[in-house]
Amino acid sequence: MRRLASLAVMLCALFLGPMTGGAWAAEPAAKPYRIYMALWRGWEDAAQGFKDYFANQGIPVELIIRDAGQDKEKLKEFVAEAKSLQVDLVFTWGTTVTEEMLGRYDDPDKQSHITKIPAVFAIVSQPLGGVVPSLVSSGRNITGTTYLVPMETQVNLIQSYRPLKRLGMVFNPLERNSQVAVEQLTSIGHSMGFDLVALPVDVAEGKPRPASIALKVAELKAARVDFIYIPPDTFLNINRDLLTQAALDHGIPTFAAAENPVVTSKAMFGGVYRYYTVGQLTAYKAEQILVHKMAPGDIPIDAPKRLSVLINMPVVRQLGLFPPMKLLGLAEVIDRAEGKEIKP
Amino acid sequence: MAMTLDRTRPLFIRLLLLVLIVLVPPVAWVTIDAMAEFSQGLIPEMDKKAETIGRDLEASIERAVNFGIPLDKLEGMGEFFSPVLAANPEIRYLAVTDRKGNVLFMQGIDKASIESFYTSADFGEVDHAHKSILGPFIDMAQPLVTKAGRVGQVHVGTDQDYVRERLMEIAIDLAVVTLVALLIAVEILLFVVTFNITGPMRVVGTVIDKVRRGDFGFMAGVTSDDEVGRFVHGFNGAIRYADTLFRRLEAYLDEVKSAHFDPGVVEQVRDIESRVKFLFRFARTGQPETVNEHQATDIRLPLFLFVFAEEISRSFMPLYIRDLYAPIPGLSPEMVIGLPIALFMLVIALASPSAAMLANRVGARRVFLIGLVPATIGFVMSALAMSVYDLILWRMATALGYAFITMACQGYIAQVSHQQKRAQGLGVYVGAVLTASVCGTGFGGVLAERVGYRTTFWVAAILTIVTAVLIYRLLDSAQPNAETAAPRKREFLRLLRNWRFSVLVAFAAIPSKIALTGFLFFLVPLTLSQNPNIDLGDMARIMMAYPISVVLMSPLVARFADHVGWKAGLVAVGGLIGGAALVLPFFWEPVVVIPVSIWLLGISQGLSASPQLAMIPDLCWTECRIMGQTNVLAFLRLAERVGSFAGPLLAACFIPAYGYNGAIIALGVVVAGLASVFALLSFAYHAGPHIETEWGE
Repeated sequence: MRRLASLAVMLCALFLGPMTGGAWAAEPAAKPYRIYMALWRGWEDAAQGFKDYFANQGIPVELIIRDAGQDKEKLKEFVAEAKSLQVDLVFTWGTTVTEEMLGRYDDPDKQSHITKIPAVFAIVSQPLGGVVPSLVSSGRNITGTTYLVPMETQVNLIQSYRPLKRLGMVFNPLERNSQVAVEQLTSIGHSMGFDLVALPVDVAEGKPRPASIALKVAELKAARVDFIYIPPDTFLNINRDLLTQAALDHGIPTFAAAENPVVTSKAMFGGVYRYYTVGQLTAYKAEQILVHKMAPGDIPIDAPKRLSVLINMPVVRQLGLFPPMKLLGLAEVIDRAEGKEIKP
Repeated sequence: MAMTLDRTRPLFIRLLLLVLIVLVPPVAWVTIDAMAEFSQGLIPEMDKKAETIGRDLEASIERAVNFGIPLDKLEGMGEFFSPVLAANPEIRYLAVTDRKGNVLFMQGIDKASIESFYTSADFGEVDHAHKSILGPFIDMAQPLVTKAGRVGQVHVGTDQDYVRERLMEIAIDLAVVTLVALLIAVEILLFVVTFNITGPMRVVGTVIDKVRRGDFGFMAGVTSDDEVGRFVHGFNGAIRYADTLFRRLEAYLDEVKSAHFDPGVVEQVRDIESRVKFLFRFARTGQPETVNEHQATDIRLPLFLFVFAEEISRSFMPLYIRDLYAPIPGLSPEMVIGLPIALFMLVIALASPSAAMLANRVGARRVFLIGLVPATIGFVMSALAMSVYDLILWRMATALGYAFITMACQGYIAQVSHQQKRAQGLGVYVGAVLTASVCGTGFGGVLAERVGYRTTFWVAAILTIVTAVLIYRLLDSAQPNAETAAPRKREFLRLLRNWRFSVLVAFAAIPSKIALTGFLFFLVPLTLSQNPNIDLGDMARIMMAYPISVVLMSPLVARFADHVGWKAGLVAVGGLIGGAALVLPFFWEPVVVIPVSIWLLGISQGLSASPQLAMIPDLCWTECRIMGQTNVLAFLRLAERVGSFAGPLLAACFIPAYGYNGAIIALGVVVAGLASVFALLSFAYHAGPHIETEWGE
């Protein structure tokens, strides 16, 4: 019987092999799609996910990769270069790159922005009201993905770790992301019954001062907050070690809305969409545009379906604040003491 | 009246006893044997399951401990354990103990009841699952081994009673199936006996009766090929021989008359001839006429099988509809669930008069066969239904078939039993329907629980096909003639102008149907399904109480009513009991009290149904004289279907406002209210102008 089955498989392979091979050979459009990738702070997981998607799907692409190195000035050159190269699609990483290269939805200047070439964006914290007027449709030649977990889901996640009476937060008053987060948390706190203590970092000469972070955390400790919420804030992302170490020193658990503070620093846990997954979803939308010839305006802007709960085990052990079994069962545990990340 | 004894009843009871003696002991023996096997097999299965669950929990806990969380500091164990307990009813508790057996976490039972055992037990260094009996529980302990070595145990406790409860359940299922098999066996035996033996014998008896009176003009019309057939054949041969002898004698006499010379002899022969013709009668044509005697019992088995098929879905119909639920704009979900049941009743009500008329015109056999077509399509397509939309359509098809078939049977019975007593024929009808109701409801619940709703509908479809074959092959196509034409519609309106009749319809007949369809057919399955401990089989058994209590009550009540003659009073009392039955959940826990309500409802129906019909000749004897009593009764049947239609819809209206229990109570209040109106008005039945005014009209 088994021999018969293997024979059948072999026969199928014999027949199907040449057929599929023929189909590939007959495809004249082996010419790869050219995608211009504009990055903000180097190659990371979202870019990798984007690239891997095409490889996995067998879609031939030629990637033109440019890194702005967090320099806003370079973005103007990128716009000109993408236009002159006549690429098929532009991929933009992060809020700054996206807003500078594609323009805000109410101000798409044809000269300084890319308007004719279709574009996909990723890792934009607040696309709504920024680059697009609605998540259903951009109304123009772009689409993209969001990567932030809805605020209510984040709060529920914190609550499922420990009941919450007072939530602390340090933020950069100069970043719109953080201001939005403060507003949202305040209103959710009203309905769910917790207080938000949100302290802006000190600003000197138009720039936030990293040195003030530890002071603010000490103030939060005095206010006896149960948790510190780390918003998806560029300034805090850069200074994440300062913030998470200060919180750890005071014995305050931290929850991060982005993966970096948990994965590469000392935030205790987080609820995020992994950058890699977000990159793959963005590539899927690029495929819709390039291969299936859909208009970018018809493709809604959304987030991955699957939420990743990240738990930083060394921090948990240090705080002695252990996660509930149910949450632990769902979480991706980061345990660098063992030098590896353990997925469930 | 409904349960007036039919002629087959003594035979029925004798057969029932026979089948009981023959069938029950072996079934009981096999059952007990199988149960022992089963319980032996079930226990290791349960142990295996407890072990698997224990190992899953163990893996999660070990993972956490390996992350550096101390065993006694595990968080959220309650929420971790609860879903496991909820999903596995046989598991009564889950626990984690440390190496010394101290209970760190426990969910399901109070830890005090079991901790002393753990601390005294030595779990030693065994590295595999360890089973022990702890009072009423079976404890399956699984060692927790981490990088740091053994840290404790996880315990899964199953209920020892669980096995016993399961076995009890299976035993009850088997009992129901045995009862159903018993009743079916009796139905079939009854059919075989009446169709093949007592039926032909009665025909022969009729012919012998004629022969005894010297009439040789008839033969028994039996064509079967068995002993009975051969006997009848021989008997007919004897008659035919007598006939031939008579012809020969006649011929000889003629010859003598015409050829003899002596007028004295001729005179004498003529005298003999007239004497013979005076004493004996022979067929004029030389061919004796065939006597075919139709009897009500001919149709009993087909009717039984068809009603059985329909009743199979009785206990779970609302649940099936709920599974197929799809929104209908403007209707609440409850309304949508009630709709197929209500429309089923409506179609029966609307189709019955035409079906009855058709049965009169083209014969019961043909109408029965016609009705089986939509019924079978209805069952098959109900099994394949995709949403509530098409299910409504298929149920209406079945309803159409139901109307045709029941009307065909009633027509057949009415036609064949006019020589005998009408009430006996009706007894056959009611007997078949009630027995089928008991069997169908019980069997359907057991079946649906084991094989699912859809397969159960397939069984119903197969039963209707069997019915079709029976009717086609056995019921002979020569049909007795219809007696009277149905009266015109206007005459029915005249009936409604008789206030006594209208009161009976509106305040007695309709409320009892509201209670039946609204409560029993609609609310009971929905309410009971909310309790996870009640499975479909239990539900069906609870619902079986209704036809059983009607079967038990009706003959007693019929005799009592005849004896006492206080019919209106019985109807009123019955109605009030029905209303009160539905209000019971207001006072007690619904799960406990619903079976009681159903029993009471059966009693109420048993009390009031027969007297309702028996009152008709008194209440409207003018109309009965003009239209015929049968038609007046048929109109009462038709009018009460308003209640069948309104019942589920009314109940569905109450659910959003009061919940399921509240809806039962509200329905009870409505029924009790209407019944009290009847009770009050029934006092006036004997007062005031009665016959005079009706004559005056």
